[in-house]
Amino acid sequence: MTRFIVRRLAGSAAVLLGLSVITFALARLVPSNPAAIYIGPKARPEDIARITEQLGLDRPLPVQYLAYMRAMLTGDWGTSIGTKRPVLEEILARLPATLELIAAAMLIAIPTGILLGILSASWRRRPPDLVVRVISIVGVSLPAFWLGLLLQVLFFRTLHLLPLTGRVDPNLRFSFPIADITGFYLLDSAITGNWTAFVDVTWHLVLPAITLAAYPIGLIARMTRASMIEALGQDYVRAARAAGLSERLITWRLTLKNALIPVTTVVGLTLAYSLTGTFFVEVVYNWPGLGTFAVKGLLNLDYPAVMGITLFGAMGYVLINLVVDLVQSWLDPRTRLA
Amino acid sequence: MAVEVIQAMPAVPRAGLLRRFRRAVVRDPLALTGVVIIVLLLVGAIAGPWIAPYPEQGAGQSNVPARMLPPSPAHPFGTDGLGRDMLSRVIMGARPAVAVSLLVVGLAMLIGVPLGALAGYRRGRVDAVIMRITDLFLAFPPLLLAMSIVAALGPGLDHAALALAISWWPWYARLARGTATSLRERSFVEAARSMGVSDLVILRRHIVPNSLPPILVQATIDIGTVILAAGSLAFLGLGSTPPTPDWGLMVADGRTFILDQWWLSAFPGLAIFISVLGFNLVGDLLLDLLDPRGTR
Repeated sequence: MTRFIVRRLAGSAAVLLGLSVITFALARLVPSNPAAIYIGPKARPEDIARITEQLGLDRPLPVQYLAYMRAMLTGDWGTSIGTKRPVLEEILARLPATLELIAAAMLIAIPTGILLGILSASWRRRPPDLVVRVISIVGVSLPAFWLGLLLQVLFFRTLHLLPLTGRVDPNLRFSFPIADITGFYLLDSAITGNWTAFVDVTWHLVLPAITLAAYPIGLIARMTRASMIEALGQDYVRAARAAGLSERLITWRLTLKNALIPVTTVVGLTLAYSLTGTFFVEVVYNWPGLGTFAVKGLLNLDYPAVMGITLFGAMGYVLINLVVDLVQSWLDPRTRLA
Repeated sequence: MAVEVIQAMPAVPRAGLLRRFRRAVVRDPLALTGVVIIVLLLVGAIAGPWIAPYPEQGAGQSNVPARMLPPSPAHPFGTDGLGRDMLSRVIMGARPAVAVSLLVVGLAMLIGVPLGALAGYRRGRVDAVIMRITDLFLAFPPLLLAMSIVAALGPGLDHAALALAISWWPWYARLARGTATSLRERSFVEAARSMGVSDLVILRRHIVPNSLPPILVQATIDIGTVILAAGSLAFLGLGSTPPTPDWGLMVADGRTFILDQWWLSAFPGLAIFISVLGFNLVGDLLLDLLDPRGTR
């Protein structure tokens, strides 16, 4: 196991190094003149020359890459052109909002997806199975941004049930301000016993979380169904049936655990999907997280911001894959050989 | 989705996939629905300007007196902020949607399949190098690489298509490598090799053509996925520019008015959803037919 972990960690480190080359190439090579873009449309030639020297763009590429790497490793991810604040600081400040949203979505998606998958597998080729198949295909086909808009119309405008946008009612800022401890509003309001804010934050989370959960629910339900069906076809299940064990016992106690091993991969995949899925959800719900920052950066040609987000997202993705592999090798020792 | 094809892929492509698909599709109402959707989409893409009630408005001409009309018999999908008939806009949006996906999937196959086939056939160092590069591209969360490429190149439909293809080809490289690895051990390939046929010819004549069935299944499913991806980029403002009748762009344009003029975003979004759904329904059956374990 230790050898597997070491090898897997080395692999991740190599991938991260490769990723830095790609983001470097995107930041320095693709724009025809990074210095001109850095200053903006009103750049004079002498400004461009000055910035070119200042950014080291006149030096050989390998030297530039090394400088880039050193800056990245020391936490200097450049300054956002849009907000004039350090990119890493911006990212870290917005991270809790995004993580809170992703966590809420996963809290909905994982149990729902697994339950639907089990239901589907145990009623295979009968009406409930068909219904679940339709739900899961619809889930993976829905454009998140469109689903978000529809839910807003339904739950805000028609039913007057849920708030339209944001993380918390702005009026609460004065009456029940949320203490800034972790940046996770649910956690912060719970710690300080600020239940009015806690309830309000929960209501604000519902629609964005459902929107972000739609795709994962479909994917997880599909995967659970397939691996449940495979597990139910194994010899030990036949033996258990012959021994007269009830179907319920077989499904929940015997097969589920084995069937869930491949599902961990899909949970990892959907988490990774959420990293970019949240961009669209955040834009629709005006959620002050990484996604809105990224999209604003993309539209305003804020290169430091875009490259920072790209590298950060890729790092998150590599980390998720690493965790999934480790969890899987712990659950199923056979995968350590791969 | 790509992962599933890799998992479902048999060691050797099975013959008669199309025939088995035809036989199975009539017994599967979901897949049949998918086929109908795809046919309608293609008809819209080819004949859009002749079907749309107001083709000139579909293409972008404004008709300001009729702006923001709610759905009615004259305008079943209502009209937009420039008075254009939304039904015509949505119908004529089929062409750019299909064109972009074909372009992206085609480009991705063009890059990925030869590289993957080469890696799987040659093995050794060539394989290692190609697959490490592939891994790198797959190490980005979906769409993130495409987004930053578009940001670097500047928005626009052609840039979005290029960016999507650059982030999509590794899936095809992986698939092609898988089939090429198993094909290289087959006797007809060994025979060709022993007769001194060059690697290039073996790849072109034997490996690539025989790897195609699972790759084409993947491509079919991907067309839907790319419609969604391109729509998403356009929604963010990273895809087509006005007055192209692009579904993602239309959803974005209507967003500001979503609470009162809901039809501006609802119908173009519905078009994206239904199109993607069609390809996924068909893809589900295709995966079924490829799956040797019969777990579906």
